Amino acid sequence: MLFNSVVLILLLLSFGLQEFVPAVPIAYHARLFLPAVFFFTSAVATSFPMMLLLAFVTGFLWDARFLPAPMASPDEALALMEGVERQFTGMGSGEVMFGMSIVFFGLFGTLMQGVRPLFKRGRLELPVVMIGIAVFGWLLSQYLMITFIRGSFSFPPAVWSKMITDTLLAMLVAPLLFLLLHALARWMRFEIRYDGLRHYSHGR
Amino acid sequence: MRKLNVLAVVLFVASLVAVFMLNTPTTRRIQERVLAVFAPFVHSSAAVGDAVEAVSAPGMDSVELAERNEQLRMEVQRLRIIAQKYNQLVDENGQLRKVLEFKGASPFKMTAARVIKRSSTTWWNTLLIDKGSLDGIGTDSPVITEQGLVGKTGKLAPHMAEVILLTDEMCRVSAKVEGTLEQGILAGERAGLDMVPNLHLRFLSRNAPINAGANVYSSGDGGVFPANLLLGRVIRFQNRDISGEALVKPAVDFSALDHVFVIEMQEILQ
Repeated sequence: MLFNSVVLILLLLSFGLQEFVPAVPIAYHARLFLPAVFFFTSAVATSFPMMLLLAFVTGFLWDARFLPAPMASPDEALALMEGVERQFTGMGSGEVMFGMSIVFFGLFGTLMQGVRPLFKRGRLELPVVMIGIAVFGWLLSQYLMITFIRGSFSFPPAVWSKMITDTLLAMLVAPLLFLLLHALARWMRFEIRYDGLRHYSHGR
Repeated sequence: MRKLNVLAVVLFVASLVAVFMLNTPTTRRIQERVLAVFAPFVHSSAAVGDAVEAVSAPGMDSVELAERNEQLRMEVQRLRIIAQKYNQLVDENGQLRKVLEFKGASPFKMTAARVIKRSSTTWWNTLLIDKGSLDGIGTDSPVITEQGLVGKTGKLAPHMAEVILLTDEMCRVSAKVEGTLEQGILAGERAGLDMVPNLHLRFLSRNAPINAGANVYSSGDGGVFPANLLLGRVIRFQNRDISGEALVKPAVDFSALDHVFVIEMQEILQ
């Protein structure tokens, strides 16, 4: 219980620390997404219900803080409702829905749960690779969602370059976070269980 | 699957559905509250960034500083005289409109703001300014500099606002090309990752007589952005399948924004 509470507090703190993380201008403004990386690393250390809670909190706060505000201008809303063919100015309609990040984090968090046995044994190679896959998948999912909503399939090389750089930065920091979580778990005598992966002989 | 895990999944899905059902005003309120909560972190990070820049920037000696100060004072005096002349012209224009029974031009109020930082989003081009709802800033208000249109306000905190930049694909402006009758929609590029992103002016006529170097201004349609704000300059024109499209270089240097002005459109005076 204490471990889970500390992980939740650290996740919330990571959102504050994210404001201090600078972008890398020469790498198409790539940056380290600390809350996302922390969530993916903690998804390996915590139980499935706790992971879902962390996914909800991470996704909710991520969209609340970083998703642009939805369209609110009455002129635009009215034009859409009336189906008026008018030159449409201001923000685009049908942007990424608030809450989609919760779905992405839930899905990739579930994926990360698969490497819990390795994390429990202290083996970090595959978990770090999985962090990279999760971060890349999360960014790609967001971009595909935007592309799908806005139409016009557009994949400039800069997008791939940015996603790869973001992924590499995440993989660079992931081992430190894993070590932190390992140390916390040992200190708080928290045992990482993976009951969901065991097969019970009596069918439970 | 364990009962606890099943319950967790059910609760997760139920919470997700509840979030998807939130209406736009509620979503905006949540986003504004969260921005207000993280405002101290944003201000602190901006202060750290400024401190690092101040340390790494080459120092100016006192003679240079005094000269620069004198230049700025003379510039302020010159601008005060221009502002005085401008106000006289506005009054005269208003009186002439009244005589000719023209509808009054809608004046707008400008609020100066400092750029705190570029935002930390993944795929959107935004920045944060140090004025918010308690400073008289409204949502969806145009943001400009002396160079031209910067973008539009989005989320607001009490003393902070997010500005969606013109270089973002989401911020679309009804625009006209100088010297022609052509009108189109100007928008940025998706993700806008280039150091100097370009803008795209779409829905023009095919074979429109648009030359490179022509200025592009806002047309004022839609009631969001006032008319005649400089948006950029045409780089080249090309025909697409059913319409024409111009590539436009933005008038504003988005990499060097320090101060901006937020426009509040006031009610038209009768």
